Amino acid sequence: MTRFLARRLLLALLVVFLVTVVTFVILHLLPGGPARGVLGVKATPAQIDAFNQSQGFDQSIPVQYWDYLVRLLHGDLGASYTLNTDVSTLLAERLPKTLVLTATSTILGILVALPLGVWQATRRGRAFDVVSTGLAFVLYATPVFFLSLVLIILFAQVWPIFPAQAAQGDTVADLLSQPGSLVLPVIAGGAATAVAYSRYMRSSTVDNLAEDYVRTARAKGTPERTILWRHVWPNSLTSVVSLIGYSIPVVFGGSLVVESMFNYPGVGLLFWTAARNADFPVLLGVVLVIAVTTVLGSLLADVLQLLIDPRVRVPGATS
Amino acid sequence: MRRGLGRLAAMVCCLALAACAGGQVRHGVGGPNTVSFALPPSAAPNWILPLAIPGYTASYNGVIQSALFLPLYAYDGSSGAVALDDKASAAKAPVYAPDGKSVTITLKPLSWSDGTPLTSADVQFWFDMVRAAKDDWAVYSKGLLPDDVTDFHVVDDHTFTLTLDKTYNPGWFTANQLALITPLPKHAWSHDSDPRKNFDYLVSQAKNLGGYQESPLWKVVDGPFALQSFSPTGQVTLAKNLRYTGEDAAHLDKVTFLTFTSSAAEYNVLLAGGVDYGYVPTTNLGQKPKLESLGYRIEPWNGWSITYIPYNFNNPALGTVFKQLYVRQAIQHAVDQQAISQVIWRGTATPGHGPVPQDNDPIYLSQTQKNDPYPFDLQQAGQLLTEHGWQPGADGVQTCQEPAKCGQGVDKGTRLSMTLLTESGSDETDGTMQELKSELSKIGIELRINAQPLNTVLANGSTCEPSSPACAWQLSYFGTQGSWYFPAYPSGEQLFATDAGVNFGNYRDKPTDDLIAASTLSTSPQAMVDYSARLAEQLPVIWMPNPPYQVSAIDTSLGGITQDPLAGLQPQRWYRR
Repeated sequence: MTRFLARRLLLALLVVFLVTVVTFVILHLLPGGPARGVLGVKATPAQIDAFNQSQGFDQSIPVQYWDYLVRLLHGDLGASYTLNTDVSTLLAERLPKTLVLTATSTILGILVALPLGVWQATRRGRAFDVVSTGLAFVLYATPVFFLSLVLIILFAQVWPIFPAQAAQGDTVADLLSQPGSLVLPVIAGGAATAVAYSRYMRSSTVDNLAEDYVRTARAKGTPERTILWRHVWPNSLTSVVSLIGYSIPVVFGGSLVVESMFNYPGVGLLFWTAARNADFPVLLGVVLVIAVTTVLGSLLADVLQLLIDPRVRVPGATS
Repeated sequence: MRRGLGRLAAMVCCLALAACAGGQVRHGVGGPNTVSFALPPSAAPNWILPLAIPGYTASYNGVIQSALFLPLYAYDGSSGAVALDDKASAAKAPVYAPDGKSVTITLKPLSWSDGTPLTSADVQFWFDMVRAAKDDWAVYSKGLLPDDVTDFHVVDDHTFTLTLDKTYNPGWFTANQLALITPLPKHAWSHDSDPRKNFDYLVSQAKNLGGYQESPLWKVVDGPFALQSFSPTGQVTLAKNLRYTGEDAAHLDKVTFLTFTSSAAEYNVLLAGGVDYGYVPTTNLGQKPKLESLGYRIEPWNGWSITYIPYNFNNPALGTVFKQLYVRQAIQHAVDQQAISQVIWRGTATPGHGPVPQDNDPIYLSQTQKNDPYPFDLQQAGQLLTEHGWQPGADGVQTCQEPAKCGQGVDKGTRLSMTLLTESGSDETDGTMQELKSELSKIGIELRINAQPLNTVLANGSTCEPSSPACAWQLSYFGTQGSWYFPAYPSGEQLFATDAGVNFGNYRDKPTDDLIAASTLSTSPQAMVDYSARLAEQLPVIWMPNPPYQVSAIDTSLGGITQDPLAGLQPQRWYRR
């Protein structure tokens, strides 16, 4: 177990390092550089030169990357070109808000998805399964921005039950002070998760229900409920749990759209604005955070699977 | 029993959700005498010091600064002509010496919010810092302020005289130079006897966004508003300055500037009644009746701006072609400005024919520019090319067949095929470019459109030497929100003068240089009119329809709003009916 964790951690560090290299190089190879965009149309050539010099753009890319890496190892993510704030401060402000949104929508989505998937599997082919599967496909095929728009039109404009935007403020407490403003963003962000995981859970449960051990249990007269929740449920869960960790980039991607639609001041919005303004330090900071979160998520998924599924611990058992 | 429990649970959920959602106010946020104003998408105020460094000159920063700190001279164009706004200025009208080489300024009897009178020393404080740190001042341009002022002489506490390095056009000097000055509270902000150190200190304080609210520096103001809150995420609330001593006091208790991730997010909140003074994306203008039924009035806000596509006269492949006036005339004849303005911009854009803002200015606009010397006329455009030795090739693209007629430097076989680097992300701009491509193709000019983010367009479409790889661009467009917003006096020293900083296309024309010089130096307004006529005829760029600054949606219960083409707000004049 320790050796496994150490190996996975080393691999995780390597992945994060490679992500920073690739992102840094791609950003710095963009033609023109950020100076004109940051300083505006009216900037003079002297001001542009001064900006490029102050940001080290007059150095070669390897030298710039080395400087970035050294600063990064000292905990310095740089300062935003346009927001007049350190990237670490920006991330400290925005990341908790995004985590509130993504965690709430993911947890709620999974809480709906898992029982729904099991329910659909146990009623396979019946009216409930057919209808809920059809609805799930419709919802799964609906882009997040469209779903957000529908929710806003219905529940903020036609029936003004919820605000059309998230609460504005500097802290998570500000955000949570108006819980009603979180309802629509959480539904928009969690719908896709609920639908996707209900499909995974349904398939996994259907597969397990057809296994020999279920037939044996039934032959022994084990009650159906016990078979389902004591035997089938944990076995079905193993494959789904690993997916949760791997879905973190998708969740972050979805949060970008949700944040944009609901005026939610999180990391997704920060990334979007930075991309529009060629704000390299912020882009690098956000990519780094997402890379680290993704790597940790997949690591966590591996560990969870290790704990849940004994077959993973025994070499060759799964093959 | 189960069904009953289910229904009960559903009712509880609905009630809980409804309770969570309670308290939403229609039309704006805050109390009855407050107004919420929507900032442009992704815009977040980030600079409070009325002395900006490069990168912090956004108009919304200026709006907040001028509400807190009165500029020496404010200009306003909401009356139809851009003119001095006496009530919003800290000084009385300037008095120029008969020889025009000095100007005497008298401050109004104003006080800072801590009770200290505003004096000449507060203006000198600003001036000394700018002189000491001019290279770091965002607005600095060599030869202009502070270089053009050779002496600052304090006459008394409320009067001072500036000696100028030469005679300037007073209208230009007041509008484009003196209007840049903002008196600063020396007694509260002076940190060191060295102006350079003071500048650095104030800049460092202004960089601390999180400290704006608590810093004692920003609590000393002389404007009609004081800072109530300034969130690092961009939301700003200004409260009425109860110790304001001027003649332009605020009617409202508070004004809140709201930030939005996108125009779609803003529009959704607008429809839900969460904004008092917002904007409507042009693509949503079809919903005008719905907005009006919700209690908004819809008004385009025209900018003090022009919109154009620069030619790169230094481009190795087509620079010599662009230098031929008849080619530029043919291209201009192929721009259907009425169609672009009426159809693509849904009537909110204004056709532009020259270097002076077309829809706001009755003073400097020449008859030549006003009358559109090159109206949409494809036949005329084609004829100009034919007469000058161009014939369509096998692919339909015009090719120079008679170099002697095509013009100096244009080789036989040169094709009228050009690439337009244009900003992406706007339906209106995409439509405009497709329309232009379509019309140009009808006269045998091939236009390839290369859409890139605005930042890339600006970075790659700027001034260059012919031998440089950076000179590969041929045409560029960055005018989705107008290409250029002028200060109060719309002269062209930064745009079309030889080697000017924003003369991206490297346009060179001696008569134009002379007219620009005359417009800033002579006292006659005729120079500006002549300049307008010259560039309307010479076409240093492709003149394009000028989009509005924004199409505003204003709560009908709000009065006192005049949409200033200079993008000023003057929120102190807003009131609730």
